[in-house]
Amino acid sequence: MPRNSEIVGRGFVVMAYVALSSVPFVYAMARLQSVTGQTPLEAFLEFPEAYGATEALQFTLLEASASALLTVLFGVPIAWYLGRYHWRHATMLRAVFSVPFVMPAIVVAMGFLLLIDQQSLLFKVGLDLRTETGVIGAYADWTGWSHPGHFLALIIAHAWFNLSLIIRFVEPTVARLDPAWEEQMSLLGQGQSTFGRLRHLWWPVLGPAVLCAASLSFLFSFTSFALVKWLTPFNQTLESLMASYGGSAGIADYRVDTSEIVMSASIVQFLILLGTLYLTSTLQRRHSNRFALVSEHGAQASRGPPTLKAKVTVYAGFLFALAPMIAAVTASFRIRNRTATGTSYTWGMEAWNAAWAGDLSTLSVTEALTNSMIFAIGTLIVALPVGWILASTIHALEINNNHRLAKALDIATLLPLAISAIMVGLGVLLGVLKSMPSLFQWSLLPILPHVILTVPFVVRIMLPAMRSVDPKWKEQASVLGLNPLRTWYHGYFSFIRGPAVVASSLTLAFSLGEFGASWLLVRSGSWDTLSVLVDTLMSRPKFDPLVQPTAMAAATVLMMLTFLLFFLAERFRAEGEGGGF
Amino acid sequence: MKIRLMVLASLVLVAPLSGCIESVSTKETCTVLPAGHDDDGTLRILTYDISALSDEVLDDFTTETGIPVEMIKVDDAGGILDQMMLTKEAQQADLMIGLDNTYLPTAIDNCLLRPHETNPDNITAAAAAFYEGPLAVPFDQGDVCLNFDEDMLAEANMSIPTHLNELTEDEWKGKIAFPSPVTSSPGRAFLVATMEYFSLENDNDAMSWWSGMIDNDAIITTGWTEAYETHYTGGYGEYTEGHIGDAWMTVSYCHSPGVEAFYSGNSTHSTSLMIDHASFHQVEYTGLINGAAQINGARLFIDYLLTPEVNGNMPENNLMYSVLEGYDLPETDGYRYHADVPSVVTVMDYEQIHANMDQWLEEWKTATQQA
Repeated sequence: MPRNSEIVGRGFVVMAYVALSSVPFVYAMARLQSVTGQTPLEAFLEFPEAYGATEALQFTLLEASASALLTVLFGVPIAWYLGRYHWRHATMLRAVFSVPFVMPAIVVAMGFLLLIDQQSLLFKVGLDLRTETGVIGAYADWTGWSHPGHFLALIIAHAWFNLSLIIRFVEPTVARLDPAWEEQMSLLGQGQSTFGRLRHLWWPVLGPAVLCAASLSFLFSFTSFALVKWLTPFNQTLESLMASYGGSAGIADYRVDTSEIVMSASIVQFLILLGTLYLTSTLQRRHSNRFALVSEHGAQASRGPPTLKAKVTVYAGFLFALAPMIAAVTASFRIRNRTATGTSYTWGMEAWNAAWAGDLSTLSVTEALTNSMIFAIGTLIVALPVGWILASTIHALEINNNHRLAKALDIATLLPLAISAIMVGLGVLLGVLKSMPSLFQWSLLPILPHVILTVPFVVRIMLPAMRSVDPKWKEQASVLGLNPLRTWYHGYFSFIRGPAVVASSLTLAFSLGEFGASWLLVRSGSWDTLSVLVDTLMSRPKFDPLVQPTAMAAATVLMMLTFLLFFLAERFRAEGEGGGF
Repeated sequence: MKIRLMVLASLVLVAPLSGCIESVSTKETCTVLPAGHDDDGTLRILTYDISALSDEVLDDFTTETGIPVEMIKVDDAGGILDQMMLTKEAQQADLMIGLDNTYLPTAIDNCLLRPHETNPDNITAAAAAFYEGPLAVPFDQGDVCLNFDEDMLAEANMSIPTHLNELTEDEWKGKIAFPSPVTSSPGRAFLVATMEYFSLENDNDAMSWWSGMIDNDAIITTGWTEAYETHYTGGYGEYTEGHIGDAWMTVSYCHSPGVEAFYSGNSTHSTSLMIDHASFHQVEYTGLINGAAQINGARLFIDYLLTPEVNGNMPENNLMYSVLEGYDLPETDGYRYHADVPSVVTVMDYEQIHANMDQWLEEWKTATQQA
């Protein structure tokens, strides 16, 4: 039985987090209501009248659904083969597949633009996704669909971004499912064909994981902003629509139309994403059902070395994951040189020198990196224990058969993912202004939104791990006569140490790459991080040929650091402990 | 059912919370507000990513005055106004740098600025014409107009337009990119130019022309960067990743071809469309924020910004004209040679913009949405 003080402590953390993550939205909504004179219901009903909103919603639903589908198509085969066989350098492979998820979207956008421009391999083989000539242009003319190339580039980039979701959810189950099940199934009549095994074994086992990852892919593609801005310049998602008009939202008697657009769009987005999160939560619980799991090494050893098909799939995925990053690194060394006689490119370190020295009237990379690291470590110190307590509370409620409350809390921890960054930014700004304006002079303020945004991921990683720990292990440890701390360590913590390390590295990486909330706060103080520095440079007029390579140099530092974090986390992670973001 | 309940609950939950925040009225008689933040000796400047204010420039100011400087950066001039409006109750900056003459009347109308009590002299007549009051001081300027790709027109054997109506013709279909006046300050400046341009004609109005442009598949972008860099064929965009190059004409500054040449060894195939009244003289201002804490530092910085050492270098450092008498664009690498100077720019005054800007934006949205 938990002690009263423990219950009170948990209750406090839960209430504080739920308040912290929902108050900004409520605050922003209340201000918009005051400015527009509309109730949320009226704003919802007015949505079709808002400037550009219906088109944005149609495009958002289409691209998010297509992106989720493509993520599954790309991700499942990679996760399948990665899990089924023992791979040399598996740690590095997993790290490479994980990094895209925490890359700042602006860097990803630049990487993909480099991959589809007119010097790219894709263009040379006739796939012109940017200027839409050749096959793509002919397809556009034939179907009357304007800009199919841009759409394709966007959903491929989203699939790249979300690849790790599928791999993290599916690969550990594939790796650890008892091979005896497969053997037994193949002896039965229903399991003799591939389709039969897929239907009667793999779909029940992997289906919830795949659908859960797909629904999260849908969610992240739905709220995509920078990729949409750069890759599909003729279309807007609800999030990019709100970003376009969000600056002047919430101001009384000024540009009230922008408040109306943001209010309507944020309510529609919130409702759709709330539904998605409900689905995700349900699917993840089904995914957590315990199957007969065995040692990863044992299961993989029984299948022999990777087949050729497996190698081609995994290494093609590996190249796909690396390609935009390599393109970005390469671009940091390439300098445009325009003269009266023509344009040429030279290779050199000028951009790196400029980035290091902050020559382009920006912070230097080292200063921005220091800021980023301070915020990331601060975020970790707060987000990990908070996420841990939330996950263990949900788990405790589940054990006590309080499923309704557990489910409500589970969804509440995911809420920050459903709320538009614009609304969070506006809410934090208004809330801090109203309650404690001096907070704007507090140098660690960005930690606050970073915690709100990273805790859902800590919960998503820790909760399945906690569910899979058998309570008997703790009982056995206590029977051995160990003191309470050692009982907890040997009977509980040692089984979830791996996920805790993964959650820590993800929190650090997410905070390092976080852009939206930092950018919104930068409007009220001086908190330039590495990802803000990259965006500042990319948003500048690029008459000066050093601007873009300097941005790419800063992006490279960010990528390397993120990769290093994941590489280290993978080394600490025990086998098979990769499930669930 | 559960989802429906949650949805209803969330809507109902939020509905009564509007009472938490009082309505904020902005139209009031201006009074000097107390400091919105503590004065810790640091001068906080609200600006966009203004490249003229390099670390070196800021360090020199700190060395001279002993006042450290912190920059709070937003996207553009519109972002500066939005931020000052949003934080009106407790301003977080002392000095704004970057509001242009299409935004300044709104800032003054909403009491966002306070008298600067500095005495700038040596300001050009063009920079001083729009506003000479005590609340804002010009620090750079330039004319916003249409730029076009000379090579593309020559290749297609097209003649240079002499009237904006020619742009609604078939040969220009889908070949012009406009930054939206709702979200971009150059876009807004060009909207003002078209308002004057068509007001001088009897049988035409600006909104019909804008509808005509949308019917002619004009590309509307969120900001200047997307229009110039992604779509325009005549600028540096063709050398950047993601360039689409479907627009032979766009909105930029009349001196943008000069900037192109400056960074390209005196070569450019971009030039400006010189049609009377089809350009707008944009002036950017600095001003003391109403609610500032570090007032002395802000005043000193205004003076510093107008010194020949800082302001005279605006063309190289901020790609805009200086506001000081006697300073022009440098001749290096064809900067001045390729910069076009319109003979007749739009002369919309403070009162006209103050009275009409919101209405024009609404009309523009209606015209472009209905087209």
